[in-house]
Amino acid sequence: MKATDSLFRRLLLWLLLPLLALGALMLVQAYLDARRTADRAFDRLLEASSHAIAEQVQWQDDRLWLDLPPAALEMLATDAEERVFYALYDGDGDFITGNAALPGDPRSNDSQDDTLYYDDIEWRGLSLRQGVRRTRLEDWSLRERFEVRVAHTREGREGLTWRLFLGNLAYIGAMAILAITVLLLAVRSALRPLTRLRRAIRQRDPRTLAPLDLPLPRELAELRETLNELLARMRRVRANQERFIGDASHQLRTPLAGLSARAELALRQDDPQAWRDALQAMQTTSASTARLAVQLLSLTRLNNPEATPELTPLDINEIARQAVRDAFNACYRDGIDIGVDAADGTVMIQGIGWQLEEALSNLIDNARRYGATHITVRVNAAPPELVVEDNGPGIPAEQRLLMLRPFHRGQDGGDGSGLGLAIVDGIARTHGASLLLSDPANGSGLCVTLRFVQPNATRERA
Amino acid sequence: MKRANAASLIMAGLSLVSPPLAADDTVHFPANMPDQAGTEPRELIIEGALDIPQFQPVLKAFHQHYPDIDLHYRNFTTLALHQRFLDHEGANADVVISSAMPWQYRLANDGYGRALNTPEAEAWPEWARWRNELFAVTFEPIVMVYHDALTERFEPISSHDDLLTLLENQREALQGRVVTYDPERSGAGYTYAIQEAQLSPRYWELVSAMGSVNTDLVGTTGEMLNGLADGDYLIGYNLLGSYARDFVRDHPQLNVVIPDDYALIVQRPVFVSRNAPNPQTGELFLNYLLSETGQRVLAERTSLGAVHPGLDGEGTARELRRRLGDALRPIRLGPGLLATLDDLKRDALLSRWQREYRRLQDTSP
Repeated sequence: MKATDSLFRRLLLWLLLPLLALGALMLVQAYLDARRTADRAFDRLLEASSHAIAEQVQWQDDRLWLDLPPAALEMLATDAEERVFYALYDGDGDFITGNAALPGDPRSNDSQDDTLYYDDIEWRGLSLRQGVRRTRLEDWSLRERFEVRVAHTREGREGLTWRLFLGNLAYIGAMAILAITVLLLAVRSALRPLTRLRRAIRQRDPRTLAPLDLPLPRELAELRETLNELLARMRRVRANQERFIGDASHQLRTPLAGLSARAELALRQDDPQAWRDALQAMQTTSASTARLAVQLLSLTRLNNPEATPELTPLDINEIARQAVRDAFNACYRDGIDIGVDAADGTVMIQGIGWQLEEALSNLIDNARRYGATHITVRVNAAPPELVVEDNGPGIPAEQRLLMLRPFHRGQDGGDGSGLGLAIVDGIARTHGASLLLSDPANGSGLCVTLRFVQPNATRERA
Repeated sequence: MKRANAASLIMAGLSLVSPPLAADDTVHFPANMPDQAGTEPRELIIEGALDIPQFQPVLKAFHQHYPDIDLHYRNFTTLALHQRFLDHEGANADVVISSAMPWQYRLANDGYGRALNTPEAEAWPEWARWRNELFAVTFEPIVMVYHDALTERFEPISSHDDLLTLLENQREALQGRVVTYDPERSGAGYTYAIQEAQLSPRYWELVSAMGSVNTDLVGTTGEMLNGLADGDYLIGYNLLGSYARDFVRDHPQLNVVIPDDYALIVQRPVFVSRNAPNPQTGELFLNYLLSETGQRVLAERTSLGAVHPGLDGEGTARELRRRLGDALRPIRLGPGLLATLDDLKRDALLSRWQREYRRLQDTSP
């Protein structure tokens, strides 16, 4: 975009261009009109002059005869002192008399009446207006045809044309000035609300996200509403962030305070066994705190709108198996039965491996922590789904949506961080997949389903 | 062919008093510039139908003003001048001056003139110029001349009205003692006739009256003046004032009358040829003719008469106007002059003239 581009300029350009074109058209029209008017006025002279001459044409001595009235020529010369030419021709086109062999008019007329033709001609380097009168003698018996040609130069016509044109020019000029002034004012006033909006935005406290409420015309009101919507979204995002930070700090503070208290308690004792117990407890707490920190980190990474990692084709069967392998030892220790129910062949989707593994490990971890004894990781082929099913206490249907918010725990007393499902939800959104919480088909527990978008049929391998 | 003949007849007549002059009737003022050796002298060729004795004072004064100009003046009859100009497409001369107003006007109307746009040209009276191309630079009344013998027997005449009354009352006494132009033979006479016929229908009464006294019809002012000086004629009608004034100076028995009811004024139109070989010097000369200096020479050293409105006294248009007021009828420099040149018009006017001339003769035995 050019630096000089501006709405004002653009509006003015697109309004002025047609106006100027119109103005030019009017000028041409005015000139042509003036010329036509001048020609009409001066053609009367040709008419009168040719008439005066034709009236004096007689039949005498067996030939056409003309007693040329000087006034007929005088009237052709106005104040502009035009050059004057005349000629009398007989019906056969033979020259009878005159001071110039004028070319005549090519138009032929069939009518027997008195006819008069006007035309602009070039004659011996002079630009002339010629009037050709074709008529006939009105004698008793003689009806001899003849032609009177009169012509004069255009100075008088041009003078009158110019005067008429100048008169019109003043009128058109005044109109143009008026139109341009009104246009400038109109464009300026139309753009004023924009300036007001800009000022209003600029003068705002940069930290405030309060909605704008200045009155604006309809088009800009839409812009204002859009801005306000954006601001509202930003307000929500900020509120979320603030809550998240608050929750996170709270979550981290509690185990750290616990650690601190345990260490203090242990230091007051001299019994090495007590120390050992304390250290063991501290190790457990710090491990879970570390896990919490890891989860916070991954949640932050997932929520980062700037990072859009590339999706690659991968087999979710493989993901499911890997997740179960990773969790197997921990589950085994706790006596939890975990297994994979893989689909046949490969189930290819577009996805990010480490995120899906993270999601599964979170779900398995959740199930484990909330007291499930039986965990199944299932893979469905059509539509491609990753399902983690457990026989734990489950989540009441009305609370399931709340579970997706960070730090929201289903039941008090669990030692989960409250981040697990939020992380899974974030991963599902990254993959364009839907996250479904439902009751398992057989009995109590929770069934978490990640349903992916069906990839193209060509990618599918049975 | 008939037209050509008619034209040449008029042209021949327009040579006025001067008998046809030889084509080599020229005057030459060589360039005289002792201080400016090395620079080319400027050329100027003037061609005209104006006798050298009448024109020489102007040429001389001009040459004194501009001695570096090599000046040629060639005098022709009006016919020869006009024909030469057409033959050479106007490349034969820089400036053309002639008393044949209709012919000069026709050349200008056909675009042979070059516009002169100087302060002098702009200041020139509107009625004596056309398009800044054609300028009427002289002011010569058409006069009547009578012999002293007339006033011994009759009242002196001072107007056309007087003349008409005299002719009607003294028809017997004036038989053959009046002389005027033959409009058929003389272009000048024809030009005056057509102008006078336009001025008033009473002109035809005058023609009839002149016919009734068997007025002699001659071809030039010179013939009239000689006949008047010899006492053959008592009254001469329509003589060119500039020639008559010079002539009467040497013949005190003759009296010049500028009619006080109306007096035609002839002016000599001048133009610079469009195809002039030396247009700059041509314009310089025309501008000089239009300047107060040039016009003063015309007024004081010639009998041609000055037009310039700034000049007064003997030989100026202003003085004539003051003396005769509205009676002066300068022949208008306009398209009406073209009608004068129309062959049919000429035939029509001449036949009318003849008819009127013979009207009263037929009724008298």
